[in-house]
Amino acid sequence: MRGLWLVLLCAAMAVHAAEPPPGLMRLDGRPAPALVLPDLDGRTVDLATLRGRWVMVHFWASWCGPCRREMPTLVSVLHTHPPERLTLLLVNTAENEDDVFAFLASVAPELSTLLDRDGQVTARWQPRGLPSTFLVDPEGRLRYLALGGRDWSAPAYRAFLRGLTTP
Amino acid sequence: MLRLFPLLLLLLSAIVPARGERLGQAGLDFSISPRTPEQLIAFYSARGFAPEAMEVITASCFLTVGILNRGSRVVWLEPARWRFETLDGRPVRRIDRDEWEARFERLAVPLGQRATFGWTQLPDSRDLQPGEPVGGNVTLEAPAGPFRLIARFPTESDRSGPPIELTVDGLVCPGSRP
Repeated sequence: MRGLWLVLLCAAMAVHAAEPPPGLMRLDGRPAPALVLPDLDGRTVDLATLRGRWVMVHFWASWCGPCRREMPTLVSVLHTHPPERLTLLLVNTAENEDDVFAFLASVAPELSTLLDRDGQVTARWQPRGLPSTFLVDPEGRLRYLALGGRDWSAPAYRAFLRGLTTP
Repeated sequence: MLRLFPLLLLLLSAIVPARGERLGQAGLDFSISPRTPEQLIAFYSARGFAPEAMEVITASCFLTVGILNRGSRVVWLEPARWRFETLDGRPVRRIDRDEWEARFERLAVPLGQRATFGWTQLPDSRDLQPGEPVGGNVTLEAPAGPFRLIARFPTESDRSGPPIELTVDGLVCPGSRP
């Protein structure tokens, strides 16, 4: 319990300290909307169970050109941050499993995704477009929004995420 | 891949303008490109839209718009305030999200397809931050001949800055008949 408080304290300090690189917009810290969705294997993932760590929630669709370019760079996030500090949740918006599976297999085979089959969860999160990436802090609050796609493997973004998630 | 290409083309065109104006001084990149019925069929049919829905979609005029705010101030995107008009000044009616929703409701289009359609439309309102891109379709009741767009973009967070204005002449919906 004491460890958890320490993690939350460090996270709160990181929120105030870290200056986001261009293209990341600071949000007001309102609670993240509910996100309970199945993955490609049919397992249900609930964002609420991931408290105590940062979560990147990335909304995408296979028909979106910028999503295709950004997707491989998300792999670097997996490689450079342990999941107990930063968990990446991809949310596909309103596509069927076959299209999603074929897309990921060809573009970023290491990534998996949640399926928002009817698009209603995406609508509740109100992203500014596709792709959109929210950074949710360890208390489950919305802290940053990436405006459009970007190269997450670029040094500025790597350093920013490291600063957020390193105690 | 052959099936995927036209799908990607629809959205990529927001980045690579088929017809565009770049307003370097104002700090706004703007492109606009009419879609052919074949492109619409290739995209939306592949997303599962039924023939009845495709009939309604292809009867309308789709313009893919791409915008990038290259400046240092907020630029407001409000397509409801844009004016489309024929060359002799008659207004061309824009079809808004509510109207599409009503059409899809009547046709019992599944929620997932409606969501996809919604994400391919230009947002109704957006305070474009410095460096922020946005892309999507604007839909119109297809006019018989060429028409123009007169767009106005308020600037600054409180809309107090000098607006950016642009006119694009000579737009034509590929499916329309003079």
